[in-house]
Amino acid sequence: MHFSPLPYLDPGSGSFIIQIAIAALLGLGVALRASWGSIKKYFGVKPKPEDEDSDSDNVQD
Amino acid sequence: MSKIKQLSASFRDPSGFLFTDSGILYRQINRAYSNDYARLMDSGLYDKLVKAGLLIPHVESDQLPAESDAAFKVIQPERVPFISYPYEWSFSQLKDAALATLSIQKRAMKLDMSLKDASAYNIQFVRGKATLIDTLSFEIYKEGEPWVAYKQFCQHFLAPLVLMAYCDVRLSQLLRVYIDGVPLDLASGLLPAKTKFNFGLLTHIHIHAGAQKKYSDKVLVAPRKGAMSRQALIGLIESLENTVKKLTWKPAGTEWGDYYENTNYTDSAFEHKKQLVKEWSAEKKPALVWDLGGNTGVFSREAAASGAFTVSFDIDPAAVEQNYRTVKTKKEQNILPLILDLTNPSPALGWDNRERDSFGARGPVDMALALAVIHHLAISNNVPLPQLARFFAAHCKWLVIEFVPKSDSQVQKLLTSREDIFPTYTREGFEAAFVTCFVIHKSESVRDSERTLYLMESR
Repeated sequence: MHFSPLPYLDPGSGSFIIQIAIAALLGLGVALRASWGSIKKYFGVKPKPEDEDSDSDNVQD
Repeated sequence: MSKIKQLSASFRDPSGFLFTDSGILYRQINRAYSNDYARLMDSGLYDKLVKAGLLIPHVESDQLPAESDAAFKVIQPERVPFISYPYEWSFSQLKDAALATLSIQKRAMKLDMSLKDASAYNIQFVRGKATLIDTLSFEIYKEGEPWVAYKQFCQHFLAPLVLMAYCDVRLSQLLRVYIDGVPLDLASGLLPAKTKFNFGLLTHIHIHAGAQKKYSDKVLVAPRKGAMSRQALIGLIESLENTVKKLTWKPAGTEWGDYYENTNYTDSAFEHKKQLVKEWSAEKKPALVWDLGGNTGVFSREAAASGAFTVSFDIDPAAVEQNYRTVKTKKEQNILPLILDLTNPSPALGWDNRERDSFGARGPVDMALALAVIHHLAISNNVPLPQLARFFAAHCKWLVIEFVPKSDSQVQKLLTSREDIFPTYTREGFEAAFVTCFVIHKSESVRDSERTLYLMESR
């Protein structure tokens, strides 16, 4: 592992490997979403304002 | 003279630890954590999280450190009125704690920090909201590194939530057995096959469990530098968030979810009881109240109206869920609904049995309410009345307790299929047992019922 410094909890070999694999796939989605955003922007579609508080039901108003 | 005591649950993370001095809670930050702490404070992340109610506020203190060799700073965090544990939470409480953790991670990443642990025990309900209480959970994010807390998040939050949603809500009690969260192979084995058709559950639970098994005895070879891009990590967090958000549980068919609709209470008896609880709480002004057998929290709210922080315990996950939803809807800040079986309350757990406090060790409190609960303990669970008196006296100063006589239809129901082996279960027998531990200050017959409400003070 190349964690620096090493974490105080064992992240687990299996959890570590599968996380990288799943995240590679999911990262593609994030990248596609970002490029779709710039395509829309190019054609003059305004992006939705980023709402910090909308990322959790639990967050206070 | 100062009396320094390190908290027994605070030993895992070398970044620092909690201690008390003369009853005041402090957190020592060690030098090894100084850079991460500086980033948390200077980047504005601390202010943002505290403002959003996601992180416990603290002030830097002049208090001397408990272990001066390693010390960098001492902070004084705001004290949480009552520490609760995930095996005492209802479905939505655990779900909100999970979403709060992910929300914190997303906000942290925007300011180049990341959570280095995702323990459910780091979340507490403060002013009605799931709040991170471990100020030292953050580290400076290094581009390319995976999320070290991924395994812990899946075990502490995702696995129990999925089991509660897809199998049985009572499986939250697995958290009482497994102190570091539900093992993923266990969750994967218990879940119905249909969960494999859900991308989030397939990957984060089933495939994840398989990978853990496959690599359990293998030493990890260093992956190439930058194995996981920032975008990939954001994708992972968002996927966990979407998976958790889609999990639902609707209270139905559990024991007492509709209790108040199925009792022999008349409206006037119910209102009279509410009025007495309200009056007596206002008179005694307790700071902390435990409502033992609080159901959906109707009487807890009467006690809380006096300004007391009220913990509303009930055995029924549906009642606690309903109570928590009310807390959220009404934005109530001083009521905490929790699941508790009074006949088998939360024990002391973890390393040396000192990491998680037992129910009793988190008391005693100024006032306890025991309304419509005595017959369940004395008759259903066969606890002799003198033992009940000692139990309550050990946990509170003031006790508001309701005696429900044998002639009451609720007690009759409990006795229909069993022998009546309770000759002393009478109002006189109850008073005789309780006066050995309590001074009875008031006793009022509840209007339009055969029940009596008492206000007692422990001796």
